[in-house]
Amino acid sequence: MTDIPRSGPHKVLLAFYALFTVAAGARALVQLTTQYDEAPVAYWLSLAAAVTYALGWYAIREASAGRTAFASVMLWVELAGVLTVGTLSLVEPDWFPDASVWSDFGIGYGFVPAVLPIAGLLWLRHQKRGPKPI
Amino acid sequence: MPSVSTQITFIVVGYAVLVALLALVVALRKQERPGWLDQLAWMLEALLVVRALAGLGALGDGPPSTSTYVGYLIASVCVLPIAMQSIKDDRAVWSSAVIAVAAVAVGVVAVRLEMTA
Repeated sequence: MTDIPRSGPHKVLLAFYALFTVAAGARALVQLTTQYDEAPVAYWLSLAAAVTYALGWYAIREASAGRTAFASVMLWVELAGVLTVGTLSLVEPDWFPDASVWSDFGIGYGFVPAVLPIAGLLWLRHQKRGPKPI
Repeated sequence: MPSVSTQITFIVVGYAVLVALLALVVALRKQERPGWLDQLAWMLEALLVVRALAGLGALGDGPPSTSTYVGYLIASVCVLPIAMQSIKDDRAVWSSAVIAVAAVAVGVVAVRLEMTA
């Protein structure tokens, strides 16, 4: 892994993804273990979000070194996840007696979950065009 | 009169906002990351350690501890060192933005600490 460029916007993306992996993962684990019956679907979706962020972190790391294939899939998966869960939480509120990380498109996190995959995809497009570090 | 840990939290949040804003200004002016920004970030970390110790001290005589509260305490002191490690050899423009993100994150964690205390 010596060919990872030292600087660039991906450093900020990686910081966000690491942060959200921990935030979503810790939240999901606490809620799944202490109050499982309140909203199991929402809590499992939070755990899925955490796994998505962990995979996204790895995908962006790889893409920053020029291996963009995984990120091209993973960031779209993440965007689809946010949009699906966000829409479902508004259309079918009964399924979400308690909030999930992606409820209302990530309103509990200042909508950062909705912005992250879009920012990631924009960066990826730039990265594919010219893999030079900035 | 709010408790000691609450007062420290006010200082932490205010200082975190200051660090985040300064880091953002440095990044937007496309400057290399100056040494003083690192020092400000480590000062913030020192404040967070003080806040965490105050929080741990209050666990004994306060309301029953929740796993959430302890989780936030641990997270509050871990975020900045990990962020600083990730930009250790990188003083380019974007490294300041990483500090801004980390500072906002610990600010939010500090606010959540008060809400779960």
